[in-house]
Amino acid sequence: MKVLLLGPGGREHAIALMISRSTYNPKLYVVSDHKNPGLSRIAKSTGGKLYRAKTTNPQEVLKIAEEVSPDVVVIGPEEPQFAGVPDLLRDKGFNVFGASSRCAEIERSKVFARTLMWKYSIPGRLYFRAFSSLEEARKFVEYAGDVVVKPARQIGGKGVKVLRENQAYLLEEYRDVKKDFVMKLFKEMTKYVDIDAKVLIEQRVEGVEYTAMTITDGSYVLALPLVQDHPHVYEYDVGPETGGMGSISGPGWVLPFIEIDEFKRTIEIINNVVKALQTEVRDRYVGALAGQMMLTALWGPTVIEFYSRFGDPEISNMVPVITSDFLEMIERAVDGRLAGYKLEIRDDVAVVVKAVAPAGYPLNKKVAANHPVSVDESKIRELGCTLLYASVEELEDGTLRTHGSRAFEIVCYDENHEKASKKAELAISYIKSLDGWPLIHRSDIGSIELLKQRHQLAMRIRRTYKARARRGLLGTSIVWVPGKGIFFDPFASPVMTR
Amino acid sequence: MGGLLALYAFDDLWNLSNHIYYGLTALDHRGSEKYIACTIGNGKVKCYKGSKERISKEITTPLAIAATYSNEDSDIYLGTYSTNKLEFVMIGDRYIKTMDIVGEEVASRLNSSNTSITNKVLSAFKEVLDGFKGKDIPSFVAITSKGEILAYRNGMGLTPLILGGYGFDLALISSESRAIDILGGDVRKWLRPNELLYLSKYAVKNARIDGNDIEHLCAFELLYMARHDSIVDGVSVYEFRKSLGRALARNLNANVDIVVGVPETAIPYAVGLAQAINKPFEIGFVGTGRHMRSALRMDPLQKLIAIHLKMNPVVNVLEGKKVALVDDSMVTGATMKTVSQILRYRVGVEELHVVIASPPLIRGCPYKLMPIDVKSLLAAHLDTENAVRYLEVDSLTWIKPEVMSEVTKSFNIRLCGKCFGVNFVG
Repeated sequence: MKVLLLGPGGREHAIALMISRSTYNPKLYVVSDHKNPGLSRIAKSTGGKLYRAKTTNPQEVLKIAEEVSPDVVVIGPEEPQFAGVPDLLRDKGFNVFGASSRCAEIERSKVFARTLMWKYSIPGRLYFRAFSSLEEARKFVEYAGDVVVKPARQIGGKGVKVLRENQAYLLEEYRDVKKDFVMKLFKEMTKYVDIDAKVLIEQRVEGVEYTAMTITDGSYVLALPLVQDHPHVYEYDVGPETGGMGSISGPGWVLPFIEIDEFKRTIEIINNVVKALQTEVRDRYVGALAGQMMLTALWGPTVIEFYSRFGDPEISNMVPVITSDFLEMIERAVDGRLAGYKLEIRDDVAVVVKAVAPAGYPLNKKVAANHPVSVDESKIRELGCTLLYASVEELEDGTLRTHGSRAFEIVCYDENHEKASKKAELAISYIKSLDGWPLIHRSDIGSIELLKQRHQLAMRIRRTYKARARRGLLGTSIVWVPGKGIFFDPFASPVMTR
Repeated sequence: MGGLLALYAFDDLWNLSNHIYYGLTALDHRGSEKYIACTIGNGKVKCYKGSKERISKEITTPLAIAATYSNEDSDIYLGTYSTNKLEFVMIGDRYIKTMDIVGEEVASRLNSSNTSITNKVLSAFKEVLDGFKGKDIPSFVAITSKGEILAYRNGMGLTPLILGGYGFDLALISSESRAIDILGGDVRKWLRPNELLYLSKYAVKNARIDGNDIEHLCAFELLYMARHDSIVDGVSVYEFRKSLGRALARNLNANVDIVVGVPETAIPYAVGLAQAINKPFEIGFVGTGRHMRSALRMDPLQKLIAIHLKMNPVVNVLEGKKVALVDDSMVTGATMKTVSQILRYRVGVEELHVVIASPPLIRGCPYKLMPIDVKSLLAAHLDTENAVRYLEVDSLTWIKPEVMSEVTKSFNIRLCGKCFGVNFVG
């Protein structure tokens, strides 16, 4: 069976590994923007090869697909989806696993995703407002209170300003920062002409975040085990937001601080979203759909955003646990035969994934780029861990150079997170910077301290949302204005872009 | 000792003026008379002293260090050092002369180092501090003209230091968790003794300084210094005080009608004692004006003013009653004498039994953390019989060191007990 995998990074390396284990004896071909040594090696070992091309260019990808003539094409990242790569390939008769551009709207446009949830009354939704005018957004944000400012379009998982405003005495600072941020964001967003609304201002919630990844064939939703990402760049959850410095999962289907019932309700939300999406969009949704979730006091499971693909690094957590034939699963999704499929996992292990990035990431990718690094892969394998190549390129002479983002991911597993985390630390010691430029990673991911903090936070949130559920208040807010009366959900109308 | 604060915004959009103001306000009980704040501008570190209002207005930058203190000569260490490439300022939470040598050695190491790596400053501080193994270096925060912030917790862990975070935007460091709460952040980590933390735009790192000190927090941090709403090294200050109060019941040999505490620190002790002996806890005093910490005042008249203002009695609660009056500690006895006179002459209590939640204070502080003059320590010079007579009370009960040890151990913590005449409590 011939498989063509599209994408250059750590996520694709993880997918490639899982595909390569298939009993279908796949020949793996890869289209990547640069030479990712992990991808090129797997491709070679299966008798396939790596093509270098612009993965967001439909014509370039089509040419390669026509040359390879694969049985199935797997789209890794979201940008090729937005650019219409899956659409063109499907038009030309290829079997494609990966959301079409219209389905991928669920990730590309936060306004679309939020409006869909309101229109179909799907639980776990937040109130929001979208703006295409800077002046309006600035004015609104000044009086909006406790809100989050987000770019209305997905821009690589960054650019979110979350300000907790429980301190009335610091309101002025929050307002100033938000107003300035809105301006900065508008400036940044002007380069994206593919979307009308530029900025989304949304109700802020607090709680424990987790990622629910699923695979769908447009009617059936197959859940993967839950994963938790670590977005802060530095130890102890300090510092700017990144695409994810590492993630934990297991043992089993849920995380230690999430209840089975919460997992079920999360998948129910995604199920509803797929149904709603299929009503709104003609294309059948074939591919991965992930919910970036948060357990909140408002709803319990709440949607922060959707990904029309597998999470990165979250999919890496699946490498040691999925025992089912990954390619068979993809094939069934493509054929619309996912219903009744039972995903087998190893449920006795905890998995810890850690990303290694050059210093400078994520604030200044320029200084983080172009540093030579080396890695002793065999030593990492001896530990029972897996090395994934992410934002790193192999040059002609065999040296590795950083690209400015997360360069490697280390995947380790053991009977508990702490042991897996310690293994990962050891594994990371085999990654070296060759020019003295520091490499950063988070040693605290998987630690008992961090798990304890998550657990405590989840308990606090759970107590509140369950109390609200008992009173029938899930998802609602009540405001009493003296002299005017009592208002239910005064903010709860989705206002479309103006 | 002073209260330390360091703030770092990863996004340049922030102006931390009000954060400095409210952060220092949250630490007021650790000083509250004097303030300093330092930030960077034009490649230099600039420090401002004066009122909170004034100095916070000067800090319009996304990073700063600051402190509150009572006495500049003893409560803080302040040192400015420069090298050919940068300038840095250190603020320690008490004055120890050795800090001068630390600063000079760091500066000379930075002068001779040629590497341009981001972690240069961190390694210079680490190497120098490693060389002071076994020496008493106070907890400190530092800022460099290149926009870096460092924080070090004393090797014995005498005073706490906490790292907090606010969303994706701010890192907050404070002597007490309270300031992090007040600034809207979450406590991320209690720094370990001998832990050195480094913050810059491109790295947040920590280093362990070499050391073999036995870890022991200053007992007065939990007894008196921290506020009830703080958590110190994972220990809830309120819970700790209440437990000591409960334990006091074992040493108290008197029949009382009510239990009252000296405001505000002693309230949780009184609540614990009242619950243990099954007698009502009452509010015995109401303070007037701004909360002042009498024990941190050195001037006797100022001290008296502070006591008189915070101890206006609720007469109907106290009159004609057998009263257990609880306090966290007794240094010179002057506070207790004043209170007993209020209760005897102005209120007319039936009996007055003084209960102290710490063992007798009989030695000075070798680390100069508390302003204690051995000459004036009541417990060092008067036996219980004379103390009872002088204070005009019916009995005087101190907690026994072994009882306090037991309580402390139950919180998985070890305290310094040098001023009680023992090395450690717990």
